[in-house]
Parts: sequence; structure tokens; C-alpha cells
Amino acid sequence: MKLIMCDRPIQVNIRDNSDIKYIDLSSLKIANCTGCFGCWTRTPGKCVMRDDATRVYPYIAASDTVLYVSRVKYGGYDSVMKRMLERAIPVQQAFIRIFKNETHHVQRAVVPKRATIVAYGDIDAEERALFEKLVARNASNMSFESHEVVFTPEAELDDCVKKIVERWNG
Amino acid sequence: MERIMIINGSPRAPKSNSKRYAELFSRYCPVETDYYNLTKRNHRQLCELMAGYSDVLFVFPLYADALPVGFLDFLKELEANPPARKPMVSILINCGFLEYSQNEIAIEMMHIFCRKNDYRVGSILELGSGEAILGTPFKYVAVRAIKRLARSVAHGEHRTIKATMPLSKRLFIWASTYYWTAFGRKFGVSKSRMQTMQIEDGRLPDLPLAGE
Ligand SMILES: Cc1cc2nc3c(=O)[nH]c(=O)nc-3n(C[C@H](O)[C@H](O)[C@H](O)COP(=O)(O)O)c2cc1C
Repeated sequence: MKLIMCDRPIQVNIRDNSDIKYIDLSSLKIANCTGCFGCWTRTPGKCVMRDDATRVYPYIAASDTVLYVSRVKYGGYDSVMKRMLERAIPVQQAFIRIFKNETHHVQRAVVPKRATIVAYGDIDAEERALFEKLVARNASNMSFESHEVVFTPEAELDDCVKKIVERWNG
Repeated sequence: MERIMIINGSPRAPKSNSKRYAELFSRYCPVETDYYNLTKRNHRQLCELMAGYSDVLFVFPLYADALPVGFLDFLKELEANPPARKPMVSILINCGFLEYSQNEIAIEMMHIFCRKNDYRVGSILELGSGEAILGTPFKYVAVRAIKRLARSVAHGEHRTIKATMPLSKRLFIWASTYYWTAFGRKFGVSKSRMQTMQIEDGRLPDLPLAGE
């Protein structure tokens, strides 16, 4: 399965391709993670806050290819995407292992993935460099086997996503 | 007069590790401090109050390799509503993993925020193993680091301090497994249940659609 998860609506034609799922986070009700660790210690694998996020992280976990589309703020993901990434920690266990010579959480049934992150907005050189580092670091916590960051102006977002999806379709 | 504003950006501020770190900071700081939890509703108020301080200390955890979203939203609010006088910004960040270096991206984000908004960056403390360290024999490591941070902010002798449990990765994993197993036991959840590989009971829910 492939997942397009974006922080604003994108015009992308995937109707006849059920292998590709599309989630526009801006249309969903997702609260901030409260850091209760219920998803690790009370109801393992399930967030205790039963809003739309609980229907998003299973798709993140099940996808072997993901395309995240996010505005960049201060060199990181802007709020809409960041909120969801924080709410996705039920896909990990509390327990820690050594991965790439650092301590990281054990993953539950998370399919290793190829990730493409499309970053848009008014992004200067320093922010670009930092965002690349952030995605590289995410790779260890979010099961990215490989990752690529694509920067694009917001006006060209639809086109940029279209090209990436065409590449998936081979 | 010098006065330090402490803002706790943890999403669980009243019950957070950050709160305990902030308390230690206040205890060892030779200058007066005022402490505020960041809440959903007090962003504007904190932006206004900030003008009355020579220094601000942001205390917050690392979330998903970066700033917690509630704190990010506060910074955006601060960008839109700058205080009349901008204090020096110091930072106390803690992360759950052993390596304090995992905090570096969040610290660089803070530098970018400060550069874009004309704040000077003061002292920084990057703490690893911050979820558990205060409940272990290594509490002294955190206390010592916070003491140094508090003095450096108060005296304007700015520096970057890094600290974590003096443990090998393997021992850290052993200790953290103990910590989390005990955490689950408090809720009657066994270690093996905590180790489930299933997400949402192994079911793929209906795809969330707009406006449902
Ligand atoms: C949603 C979420 C994401 C987290 N992400 C990270 C992370 O990427 N790296 C890390 O070392 N710790 C991570 N942590 C652990 C926290 O940084 C750690 O538990 C910290 O001590 C919490 O501080 P607080 O009690 O002040 O909120 C995360 C915790 C939560 C709840």
C-alpha cells in the first residue's frame, strides 16, 4: 500500500488506483498528543484519544511507500503534519533497542518504507539544510528504509505530487 | 531589574519532567524566576508578559525529533505578537533516548526562530535520558547540569551544556525496560501485552475522509 498524507488539499487523481490512499490532514479532527504514554502502557498500540488520528496511524504503519506533504516552519514540519507525526507513536513500543548505533524504540507491525517528503513554503537555505537533517533523523524513528526530500514552491505543489505519483505508477 | 521568565512547553506541563527541571533551575538560580505552564489559551498573555523579563528560559521535551507542536504553535504566536522588549532566550530541552545529541535538530530550530525574530540565544542545556533520570541514582548528573545552566543564565556567561546518564547503551536499554515495565504494571498491563505488535488491534480502520 502507498500513502499520500498532506497538510492541505492536493489535486491528485488516484481514483482508479486503490493501492494508493490519500489523507488530507487539514480536513480531519486531530488533537495534540498529551504525552500520557497510554498507547504504550494502558492500551498498547491504541491511542486513548479516539479522534481521527487513530484512523491515520494504521495507514502509516501499513504502507511501504509514503509521500508526506508539509509546509516547513523553522526548518521543521509545520503544525498540521507535526501534530499527526506526534500522534503516530502508538506504532512503536515503549521498549528501546539499539538501531544504527543509537537508542530507539522497538516498532510494532510497521512496514519498512520508502519515504518522499515534499516540503513547501518560504524556505531559506538554512531551513532546507535543517529539514533534510530532520528527515534523515526521522528515518530511524519512522521506519524509512530510504528517503528523499523535495522542496517546491506552494504554487507548484499539485504538479510536484503528480510527478511523484506517476513515478510510483511506473 | 533582571528577572527570568520560565515557560514550560511540555504538553503535559503540570505533570512533566520539564516542570521538575524548571523547579531545579529556579532553586539554583541566583536571579528571581517566574514560572508559567504553556496552555492552549495563554499564548497571547505569555507573549505580552515577556516584555517584562531580561531572560526567558524555554523548558520542553523533544517530540518526534523536533519541537512539540503546542510549543511550535506558541512560537508562531510569539512571532506574530512580539513583546515590546525582547529577552535573551535560553533553552532546557530533554529527550527520552540516551543520546543528548538527538536534541540537536530541535535546538537548531530554536536558533532559526531566534534569528528570524531577532532574539539573542543565551545558554542551552541538552539532556538525554530525561524521561527517567530524576528517579535514578544519576539524578545528580541532571542536577549538576541544571545548576550550571542556572548560574550561566543568571551571570550572562552563556554556554551549551550536555548531559545524560553515564550508562552504556546496553545498560540503558536494560534500565529503560525496567522503567517501562513498571509503568505498565501500574495500569495492570503486562510486559508481553505492552509488546504487542498489533496497531489498533490489527485492524485497518476505514480511511478517514474529510468532514465525516
Ligand atoms: C509524542 C512523543 C514523541 C516523542 N519523541 C521523542 C523523540 O523523538 N526522541 C526522544 O528521545 N524522546 C521522545 N519522546 C520522549 C520525551 O522527550 C520524554 O519522555 C521527555 O522526558 C518528556 O518530557 P516532559 O515530561 O517534560 O514532557 C517523545 C515523547 C512523546 C510523548
